[in-house]
Amino acid sequence: MAKEIIKIENLTKKYGKNTILKDISAEVKDGDIISVIGPSGAGKSTFLRCLTLLEKPTAGVVSLEGEDLTKKTQKEIEHVREKVGMVFQNFNLFPNMTVLKNITLAPIRVKGLSEAKANQQALSLLDQVGLSDKAEAYPDNLSGGQRQRVAIARALAMKPDVMLFDEPTSALDPEMVGEVLDVMRQLAKSGMTMVVVTHEMGFAQSVSNQIWFMENAGIQEKSTPEEFFSNPKTDRAKEFLSKILVK
Amino acid sequence: MKKIYKFIMLALLAITVFATSGFTTSIKADQKDVTYDRIMKRGYIVLGTSPDYAPYEFQTTSNNKSKDVGMDISVAKDIADDLGVKLKIKNMDFDSLLVALQTGKVDMVLSGMNPSAARRKSVDFSDVYYKGGQSILINKKDAGIYKNKDSFKHKKIAAQTGSIQYNLAKKQIDGAKVSGIQKGADLILALQTNKVEGVVMEKPTAEAYAANNSGIKVIQGGFTLNDDETSTAVAMPKNSPVLRKKINTTISKIKAKNLLPQYLKEAGTYLKGNTVNTSMIHYWKYFAMGVGYTILISILGVIFGFITGTLLALLRLSDNKVLRGLSAAYVEFVRGTPLMVQLMFVYFGLGLFVNLPALTAGIIAVSLNSGAYVAEVIRGGINSVDDGQREAAESLGLNKRDRMRFVIMPQALKNIWPALGNEFISLIKESSIVSIIGVTDLIYQLKIVQSDTYRGVAPIVVAMILYFVMTFSLSRLLKFYERKFNNG
Repeated sequence: MAKEIIKIENLTKKYGKNTILKDISAEVKDGDIISVIGPSGAGKSTFLRCLTLLEKPTAGVVSLEGEDLTKKTQKEIEHVREKVGMVFQNFNLFPNMTVLKNITLAPIRVKGLSEAKANQQALSLLDQVGLSDKAEAYPDNLSGGQRQRVAIARALAMKPDVMLFDEPTSALDPEMVGEVLDVMRQLAKSGMTMVVVTHEMGFAQSVSNQIWFMENAGIQEKSTPEEFFSNPKTDRAKEFLSKILVK
Repeated sequence: MKKIYKFIMLALLAITVFATSGFTTSIKADQKDVTYDRIMKRGYIVLGTSPDYAPYEFQTTSNNKSKDVGMDISVAKDIADDLGVKLKIKNMDFDSLLVALQTGKVDMVLSGMNPSAARRKSVDFSDVYYKGGQSILINKKDAGIYKNKDSFKHKKIAAQTGSIQYNLAKKQIDGAKVSGIQKGADLILALQTNKVEGVVMEKPTAEAYAANNSGIKVIQGGFTLNDDETSTAVAMPKNSPVLRKKINTTISKIKAKNLLPQYLKEAGTYLKGNTVNTSMIHYWKYFAMGVGYTILISILGVIFGFITGTLLALLRLSDNKVLRGLSAAYVEFVRGTPLMVQLMFVYFGLGLFVNLPALTAGIIAVSLNSGAYVAEVIRGGINSVDDGQREAAESLGLNKRDRMRFVIMPQALKNIWPALGNEFISLIKESSIVSIIGVTDLIYQLKIVQSDTYRGVAPIVVAMILYFVMTFSLSRLLKFYERKFNNG
């Protein structure tokens, strides 16, 4: 059996009286590629952000490789985050630094890598995402697809055990979605554990080994892509799929 | 809530300790003459004076160095000689002199000061060393209208702020509108530009001004005067029995030898020298020195203001409620009080504990003041950075310090650069306030050149142009860096 990476037990998140997530339990195992799908407002992004404690859960436990994150201090969480890569919808590259500096900042400051070593690693990552000629460019001079690929390289530079993607292609022009999904496919093939919040059904179907369908503050259905897309168990999933397919 | 309450109590306690410490010095002085002991131990006596009151005290230039001269300065030299110590002179506004005595910034004051009953409550006076009358200066063209004080009923008249003449005009001229003006030169300027119809001034001073300004004339004041209002004496801190005795000995010696007419005559020769060349170019060294100090204060003010402001902004954004509250309170308090009051608090107030030179006090006050404004600008800049930047930095495992240093601050700084530039430009201008405690910045030099040349407007124009050159250069420099930021 594969090693357990993330374990979520009875996770609840409330903003005031609004319940965003209600009593969610789930597990991510080593090598899993999980697509989290569902209608807008289902709490997908909040759920993903709770996994790295960018949002603090109201109740429940999130553990990473057996360690309960909700009990850790702010300082300790900083250490944990090295192991979890995060890719955002809006890229969130640092506009005041070159692409290379964006990638090397954390390895140098957090992991204590030498600049030469960090640069070498960053260049090989840039090569991996097809952007080796953009090392000295500033983010503002890149296209959306290029920015997101840099953001992926930046997260990978910390050599994380798991990568979280929060709608990585939603802010992109349609013609740029492909290049980012290609990079993610490649990453999946290399054995990286991934949790992807996405609206790209094709990607969910072809790449992931599990679909988590979220609606109404909870995970309504966990199944394999084959099962989910051909024979969804819940009425809500059926309804969601019919809407998507009509589009 | 409890914490906030504790803080208020602590603050009150600090203020009480601070306020009472002034009294403790005077209690000690009952037993001993601390001022005298201090002078003898140091080997010099500090004279406080406001050198804009020829022929009592004013500044003159020799070998391109300005120095204080006048009757009072000669008397002070005699006092120092008789004590066997050196004389050091501290120049400041007339209004600040008594505070300077009470806070130990100076040991004695000779500044044409009348020993009035009100002043006697806060300081000690020596025997009277000089008796003059009170005169009124008018424009020559008005000689037909004004004969004495009674001609000024319901008219506009001016006198030096906080002086005996000011009170005389208020009390003895019915319905007169009395303006208080700080400097002697400005009084003359007000008269010459018809802002006022007359200026009440001590007789020898009035005569000196009239002798050097062809358009003005001295008339008899005709005031009802008691001894306090005609006489001049040396002021010293309360309870200085030994010092007072020594000074009185010197004064009786001066009286016995009848030295004062000679001192006045000497002062007159300096006055004549001053009126020979009154072109502004002749005084370029004064202005250059003033610009030098203004730049020094501004640069240090910007640096320390920026450091203070950054610290305050970070405190304001910290997770600790108490630190947040403290920072907010500081900003509100400093923004809610005038820089001038803060400056006097730093110089005279803190002066009770540490003897800060005027320049240091000025730089501290300007920096602390600027810090409050900079803090708000920086806080706004930090809040203007997209939250996604913080989240991205956090998710990479960067700690709070690195997030600030590498990600948030550089972006905030770019956003706030124009606002920060404004703050620094106004700092240059506001630094002019330090002249009231005697820092020889541009404004101070402007006053000196005014009183030196008896020309009112020309030095103002020169100072104005110099300020503009400084602020405009800074604004160009900031624009240059703004462009650099935007290209990077």
